[in-house]
Amino acid sequence: MLTFVGLGLYDERSVTVAGRDAIRSADRVVAEFYTSKLAGATLDDLEAYHDTDIEVRDRAGVEQSPGDILDDAADSDVVFLTAGDTMISTTHTDLRLRAHERDVETRVVHGTTAQAAASALTGLQNYRFGKATTLPFERSHAGDALPQSVLDTVDENRQRGLHTLVFLDIDAANDDYMRADEAAARLVEASDDDVLGVVVARAGSPDPVVRADYLSVLAEESFGDPLHLLVVPGDLHLMERDALAALGGAPADALEALVV
Amino acid sequence: MDNPEHIRNIAIAAHVDHGKTTLTDNLLAGAGMISDDTAGEQLAMDTEEDEQERGITIDAANVSMTHEYEDTNHLINLIDTPGHVDFGGDVTRAMRAVDGALVVVDAVEGAMPQTETVLRQALREGVKPTLFINKVDRLISELQEGPEEMQERLLDVIRDVNELIRAMTEEMDDIDEDWTVSVEEGTVGFGSALYKWGVSMPSMQRTGMDFGEIIDLEQADKRGELHDRTPLSDVVLDMVCEHFPNPVDAQPRRIPRIWRGDADSEVAESMQFVDEDGEVVMMVTDIGIDPHAGEIAAGRVFSGTLEKGQELYVSGTAGKNRVQSVGIYMGGEREEVERVPAGNIAAVTGLKDAIAGSTVSSVEMTPFESIEHISEPVITKSVEAQNMDDLPKLIETLQQQAKEDPTIQIEINEDTGEHLISGQGELHLEVIGQRIERNQGIPINTGEPIVVFREAPQTESREVEGISPNRHNRFYITVTPLSEDVVDTIQHGEASMDMPELERREALQDAGMDKDTSQNVEHIHGTNVIIDDTKGIQHLNETMELVLEGMEEALNDGPLAAEPVQGSLIRLHDARLHEDAIHRGPAQVIPATRQAIHNALIDAEVRLLEPIQQVRIDVPNDHMGAASGEIQGRRGRVDDMYQEGDLMVVEGVAPVDEMIGFSSDIRSATEGRASWNTENAGFQVMADNLQRETIMEIRERKGMKQELHEAIDYF
Repeated sequence: MLTFVGLGLYDERSVTVAGRDAIRSADRVVAEFYTSKLAGATLDDLEAYHDTDIEVRDRAGVEQSPGDILDDAADSDVVFLTAGDTMISTTHTDLRLRAHERDVETRVVHGTTAQAAASALTGLQNYRFGKATTLPFERSHAGDALPQSVLDTVDENRQRGLHTLVFLDIDAANDDYMRADEAAARLVEASDDDVLGVVVARAGSPDPVVRADYLSVLAEESFGDPLHLLVVPGDLHLMERDALAALGGAPADALEALVV
Repeated sequence: MDNPEHIRNIAIAAHVDHGKTTLTDNLLAGAGMISDDTAGEQLAMDTEEDEQERGITIDAANVSMTHEYEDTNHLINLIDTPGHVDFGGDVTRAMRAVDGALVVVDAVEGAMPQTETVLRQALREGVKPTLFINKVDRLISELQEGPEEMQERLLDVIRDVNELIRAMTEEMDDIDEDWTVSVEEGTVGFGSALYKWGVSMPSMQRTGMDFGEIIDLEQADKRGELHDRTPLSDVVLDMVCEHFPNPVDAQPRRIPRIWRGDADSEVAESMQFVDEDGEVVMMVTDIGIDPHAGEIAAGRVFSGTLEKGQELYVSGTAGKNRVQSVGIYMGGEREEVERVPAGNIAAVTGLKDAIAGSTVSSVEMTPFESIEHISEPVITKSVEAQNMDDLPKLIETLQQQAKEDPTIQIEINEDTGEHLISGQGELHLEVIGQRIERNQGIPINTGEPIVVFREAPQTESREVEGISPNRHNRFYITVTPLSEDVVDTIQHGEASMDMPELERREALQDAGMDKDTSQNVEHIHGTNVIIDDTKGIQHLNETMELVLEGMEEALNDGPLAAEPVQGSLIRLHDARLHEDAIHRGPAQVIPATRQAIHNALIDAEVRLLEPIQQVRIDVPNDHMGAASGEIQGRRGRVDDMYQEGDLMVVEGVAPVDEMIGFSSDIRSATEGRASWNTENAGFQVMADNLQRETIMEIRERKGMKQELHEAIDYF
């Protein structure tokens, strides 16, 4: 059996009880942290909490040579861990399909993810989000400009009145995580359009930050340790407007412009 | 120097040992730059110790002199170029700087393969040729020829050279006048650089000398009198002033040929009109080292005026370089001056980013066409420092060598300290190695010379799918061999990504590529063309750069033995991409396209190619068997054997790999009676029975796995 367990948003305690049980009863535990990480826990914290050894794999170890994981899963219980949820954003559907090709049984134990936090902490309704996108570091894509597809995604969503969840790139190899202020600055620079943005920092921690303002203002602020994410709201429902004002300190003029 | 109409920029070019450098000495002596007595022995141009030792010119060298012609003082900037085939890159670069080429041919040997090559190099650059037939004294004293025989032989040489010129200029629409040379016109000179006399039709009319008289004097050993009555330098320098175009005449024609920028721009106009008040534009053709002044960039000033302190752009690099000094050549010496106006050949210090081939300018502009030298490196040698202390200095020296001579390729390996130099031939690499030891004082160990291989598809592949590691991105491609005509067109620089799309499209269509394909050219890498046949795939535009990066990696290291791939036409038919940029980043796209190219190449039955050389051996009849045996014994093929004068000529081709050590073998096989010439002649598919063995040898040398992809079962 290959069980995919999402570890949730912040630290070793963000996992569900079902996930914890699966980890503790596993014969082998494998994790990857190149797509995201638990900002509030180290590997040691995790191993101590679950009283087990956890083997961390890099991208090549998951994508190119997952053979041994699948071999073991054929006749024992293997758990595969990621931060957040294992099937959202960076989907590990590929690994699951490979298991199916070999008739290895699989199971998914959900974890809370940034997508949930983007709605939950900001008051923006999950019904009203459009396509999500990732803002990559310059080194993670070709060319040095912001990819046009990122801007297009935000624009198309806004034209349809929808919010855009902007994931911020992480460079696990260099332990570098894009900050929301940098992201806001690059968006303003590339789009020439200073619109309202909402920053969520350290979702899932005891003291998450939510901050809503013009992107140019956000670009000048600092939101502390990672992980961060950014939402560019589309049209606002009255309740959404009130939530951004109350929870994120958004300026009234920016909000009114978006209320329809 | 200030009046471009009185400047002539010329190169002397010829087959090896036909006497260019001796001739140049004559000219310098005639202009009072070196002593008349030593000219011919001094070889003022061969400044490097190894040049004097080997008796050949290796570096193209710059000199200038003045000459009074029709009561006007003319400044003649002259570049002496190497004749040995290994140093052809220097010749091509020299041609960029000049407007006229004095082609020297040995009267006894006649036009030789390298004569044809230098003529082609000159004409391709729009440089006008004249002819000097050297060593005429040998016809008289050694071959004992009478006036009629001699005349016939000289006319034969002229006819051969003219045939070459005619064939090459036929298709050049920018050359409408007749560039063939003729005795009557005065574009042909005869003489002996060794004995310092020369004649031409105009000079004979002036001095009243004729061939009969020359023969008499030569036979009577009165060469001193010959020299006094009709000195070589006057005859040749008059010919230079009279028949070579000055920059004002030459640049309007040459600029469109060597520069592809906007023809209506201001800088285009100021280059065409040699405007010394225009923006500064210089093309660097040579980088030299002066022990005191450091690196010297020499080249042609096409527009504006070079002055100390100018901040100039160097093509291909960011930022500007500050000119520390400007100079011209006087004799063989560099002489600093205040300013060098358009039309001259200048020597500049301070251009630290410039390499041979750079465009240096006061405005940002389209660089000059890259100087085409078709010969790709065919031979590689490893080099390592004997002493650990020399490691950094060796790397610096190697990089400097590559800067000075772009026909060298350097691969630095800081981990092992074993660097690779690739060049045009055994001699080329030997000379570089010796210069590192001698000039830089770095004792080095060099490995055995190794031939550079290529890989190329032999048939059309099926459509192959390349899958990214996360399996979200798929690329569908095919590979097929490019036609030889298209490969030639690319090699000659007639179709490149630097030129306007329309022009490239036309050049490719002229070479036989169909219209649709030529419109979809996305990239040209080496002699490989990548076609984007996809339509309207979202996000492909921002992924294309990575697609090409993966393809380039695959083409640099082919699937057989990680040797460069050549002559393949790659079509991207379709692609499936992940929605989000992060999931189609370099880690995903590069491996996917690299793997797709390799699999497609294998499906197209990629095979190993080796460099081959054309060989010509001139040998007395009784050694002919031994000479042709030397070709045949080297997996070679003898194509032709014929009589020429009292010698037999053997022509053929043989692999470069087998030609290593040829010089000493042919010498002993023919008791030193053979003279020979080799010329790199591209790459040829190796026989199937040698493929696997050779591939495994290369793989072992490179530390690669000793097994091939299982689909490689076709040889």
